[in-house]
Amino acid sequence: MYTWHFDVPWDYRAVFLRGAAVTAEISVGALIIGLTCGLVIGLARLSKRRALSWPAAFFVETFRSTPTIVQLVWIYYALPILTGIQLSAYNAVLLGLGGHTAAYMAEIFRAGVNSIEKGQMRAALAIGMTPYQAMRRIILPQAVRRMVPPFVNEFATLVKLTSLASVLAVPEILHEANNLIASTYRPMEIYSTVALCFALIVFPMIYAASILEKLWRKDR
Amino acid sequence: MSPTPADGAAPAEGPQPLLRVAGLCKRFGALKVLHGIDLDVHRGEVVVIIGPSGSGKSTLLNCLNFLEPYDEGEVHFDGVLVGYRLDDKGRKRPMSHRAMSELRSEMGMVFQSFNLFPHKTVLQNVIEGPRIVRRQRRKEAIALGQALLDKVGIGDKAHVYPANISGGQQQRAAIARALAMRPRAMLFDEPTSALDPELVGEVLDVMKTLAAEGMTMVVVTHEMGFAREVADRLIVMDHGRIIEVGSAQEIFASPTHPRTAEFLRKVL
Ligand SMILES: Nc1ncnc2c1ncn2[C@@H]1O[C@H](COP(=O)(O)OP(=O)(O)O)[C@@H](O)[C@H]1O
Ligand SMILES: [Mg+2]
Repeated sequence: MYTWHFDVPWDYRAVFLRGAAVTAEISVGALIIGLTCGLVIGLARLSKRRALSWPAAFFVETFRSTPTIVQLVWIYYALPILTGIQLSAYNAVLLGLGGHTAAYMAEIFRAGVNSIEKGQMRAALAIGMTPYQAMRRIILPQAVRRMVPPFVNEFATLVKLTSLASVLAVPEILHEANNLIASTYRPMEIYSTVALCFALIVFPMIYAASILEKLWRKDR
Repeated sequence: MSPTPADGAAPAEGPQPLLRVAGLCKRFGALKVLHGIDLDVHRGEVVVIIGPSGSGKSTLLNCLNFLEPYDEGEVHFDGVLVGYRLDDKGRKRPMSHRAMSELRSEMGMVFQSFNLFPHKTVLQNVIEGPRIVRRQRRKEAIALGQALLDKVGIGDKAHVYPANISGGQQQRAAIARALAMRPRAMLFDEPTSALDPELVGEVLDVMKTLAAEGMTMVVVTHEMGFAREVADRLIVMDHGRIIEVGSAQEIFASPTHPRTAEFLRKVL
């Protein structure tokens, strides 16, 4: 019979807190990069101009069709060889996960915009709006509401993907945990605590999204 | 502000038509949908377009405000070429977004499927154009918007979302939204076709009022009673061509084209 020793992770709570902070930091950073670049890339991919839509499609499909861990390793080790730019491990992870998130967000934006009835754009143009005004005032506000559930999925995925940063020795929570296991021999307790930390980071986003959806349902 | 002709020339003297369509052709890929449409609509005139489904009525209407780009021919609104500007060498170039926006805002459009903005209340729908396109002050826009809603008989629905009113009320809200731009012409594409029969009358009544006030209107409809009562001119379209033009009385009584007779047998 296994006896759990949760006093071990408790004794090292400062380490978990430190690791969780790094994890949260990378998540939020990559999310901000992903949201802003994702919007631009998603709109570019919707464009009729091939000079915009093709590079956007290339970007999205590259990130979607290769393993994230390879992307991170590639940015850290191969990019300096090709460009002479050596990023710190932390920045390489931010860039890699930011790009990954941007690719998926772009698809979420695109699907969201495409899901709005074509009559909405036509009605907006017919009263004299420019395509840009119509997008900003009429299409995106409706599309964003439909994008919240897939957006939350993507955020949850992103938070979990930050654990890949441990291969570049970024001191996020999994990396800290592995070090702890090596010194305490308590993998079960420590991995359980890591799982709990991840859940605590992801859950507020899920909760906020559910509140948003309730609010939006009310004003219909 | 009224648009000036793209080539800088003054509009011709005399009773120039408000809308002039000449040799208009439109293709969707290999499918040719409009085969050289010629049509003048004069100020204050109500032109009703009828014809079988698929004959190109919606496409024609959409070319008038360039929601559909056309391939050949020309559309002029008050002397201004719609959708294109002519460069130094007289070649057609796409019109600027600003100029396009200005032109479109002077032609109101009403759709079969209403196309109200579902995330905005009825009043917000109506003031959106004046606020965003015309940059009117909020107070003025609301005053005008409320007056227009009263006019179409749904003043009490100003703060309701479109999903919570009937189809007839939605279409009247859509008409108010178009009128809020103070358009010089109104385009209607089967405005009552999506409505339950008992709601058709309330929308037609609003349209009749507009016609009586002298609004220039182009109306695609299957409501033959409306055509008979309101149309100054009836136009019959078939397979992308205008096959007959005349007063509703004439055409209903003695159609000259066999396809008109066939179509009228089905709808009358
Ligand atoms: N966006 C489009 N792409 C391809 N074909 C179209 C499109 N819109 C209309 N058509 C075709 O053009 C023809 C005329 O359509 P439409 O103008 O809608 O006719 P109507 O309004 O008289 O029913 C039809 O054959 C229709 O299938
Ligand atoms: Mg039609």
